[in-house]
Amino acid sequence: MKENLIAFSILLPSILSVGYFVYASIGWNVIASISDWKGLEPSYTIIGFNHYAELFHDPVFWISLKNNLLLILLFVPASVLLGLFLAILLDMKVRGEGIFRTIYLLPFALSFVITASLWAWMYDPKTGVINILLEKIGLGFLKSGWVTDSSIAMYCVILALTWQFSGYTMLIFLAGIRSIPESQIMAAEVDGAYGFNLYRRIIIPQLKPSALAAFVILMVFTLKGFDFIYVLTGGGPGGWSTFVLPLEMFRETFTMTHFAYGAAIATVLFVIVMAVVLPYLYFSFRRKGE
Amino acid sequence: MKFPRPRRILLYVLLIFFAFMYVLPFWTCITTSLKTEKDVINTVPIEPAWPTLMPWMDALGIMERPLLNSFIFTLFATIFSCFIGSINGYVLSKIRFKGSEMIFLFFTIGIFIPYQSVLIPLLLTMSRLRLYNSIQGLILVHTVYGIPICTLLFRNFYGEIPDTLIMAAKTDGAGTWTIYRRIVLPLSSAPFVVAGVFQFTSIWNDFLFGLVLARGSEALPASVALANLKGTTTAFWNVQMAGALWYALPVVIVYLILGKYLIKGYMAGAVKG
Repeated sequence: MKENLIAFSILLPSILSVGYFVYASIGWNVIASISDWKGLEPSYTIIGFNHYAELFHDPVFWISLKNNLLLILLFVPASVLLGLFLAILLDMKVRGEGIFRTIYLLPFALSFVITASLWAWMYDPKTGVINILLEKIGLGFLKSGWVTDSSIAMYCVILALTWQFSGYTMLIFLAGIRSIPESQIMAAEVDGAYGFNLYRRIIIPQLKPSALAAFVILMVFTLKGFDFIYVLTGGGPGGWSTFVLPLEMFRETFTMTHFAYGAAIATVLFVIVMAVVLPYLYFSFRRKGE
Repeated sequence: MKFPRPRRILLYVLLIFFAFMYVLPFWTCITTSLKTEKDVINTVPIEPAWPTLMPWMDALGIMERPLLNSFIFTLFATIFSCFIGSINGYVLSKIRFKGSEMIFLFFTIGIFIPYQSVLIPLLLTMSRLRLYNSIQGLILVHTVYGIPICTLLFRNFYGEIPDTLIMAAKTDGAGTWTIYRRIVLPLSSAPFVVAGVFQFTSIWNDFLFGLVLARGSEALPASVALANLKGTTTAFWNVQMAGALWYALPVVIVYLILGKYLIKGYMAGAVKG
């Protein structure tokens, strides 16, 4: 009993600060979203769910949602597959594995502001390396405006993000592969499973937990990721072609000072992220409890 | 897995091809950062020109103060969040009490929330505390939002310290605090490195909190200063790339020296609940 008290009193400052800065703040944000707060002075007059209704008729909100969905449908599987491929390559008793791993993971260790700056330079239509290299190797007809062309800017974002994240998914899969008992792999080899067959029949089926973790983490990132697109394209070109929900939230809140409306977007974002995270946490807690 | 020889050659071709793709942006960044404005326009980005350090000097002139700001708040927030995480992790893994699982879940959810959903209240809170646009404010924010992940990292690690060790100390009459200081803390160098490296890089890399809470100059983080360079006419590509490299430098050094600990931090955030 005394120990309970000690434990609780040690944890209390953390519980209070996380309680305030996470949970109470989320609640406060929900309240702000049903208020009439516009402009720099906070207002707490509750007007109900009007802002959520407005969202339905807001084209920028739908573009953002569509782009978030595009990221989930293209960027997430691309990163997971490329990561899996790299992990399998590295698992083949490669000389200099550490060096390759270090290179593949480096982009993930860096700030999105840095990687976005690098890609902005790569994509630059006039002097950027991509267009110049295409010209040099005789593929000049493939030259393009890249992130300055609103019809393909979102795909350029997806390509660059895949570059940044596939090292991370590689890491998750490599850990998964390495945790499969050696004896199982040897038994399969005795049975004649060899090379890619071995991967297809024995190893990949056992990577389901790794794949699940990779999918969930990347999905959460695609929903809340702000820095990369903000720096690379600023949501443009052509107005909103690369807008995503976090950018739309930021624009409405801090550029337009529609605080209540921004809070409503943040709440929608929170609900979507929790719909992905909570089932995952529930299952991983239960698996550990067994 | 061993493959026959022709396939092994293909394997290395693929590995080197991907290594090239991953290195290319960094390579063009470095070569560009060492070029004069004229050379940036007239030469191929991947080809080095006669090197000049002017872009690095220009970038440092702009980024010096922000880099110092980032360093100060990153250092303090890393130390604070690690110590708090260590104490929490110890209590949650070594003292069995009612509701400890619930409290752990309470912290864990904090790792995953989108920060957009606390941004508006956070801005109000920080301006009421008169911590808007201040280094102290950024230290507070990064410490608090670092508590969940640090608690998780330390709790998982302390799970591996045998309970018998703690029990033995308890029967010798050692109190909770004494056990933490005399037994747990001396065994904590590994998790402190893992959590420390993880926190240092994530706080250093942060952009959103810096952008919203420090738009002035006194507390401007390097991430925001670098983003501000982009699209300005005063800073051409060579200066931007040099700025990016200045800002990347501390993380690259940490990554090359302590990478394997950083990887442990990434994995803990991914797999474990």
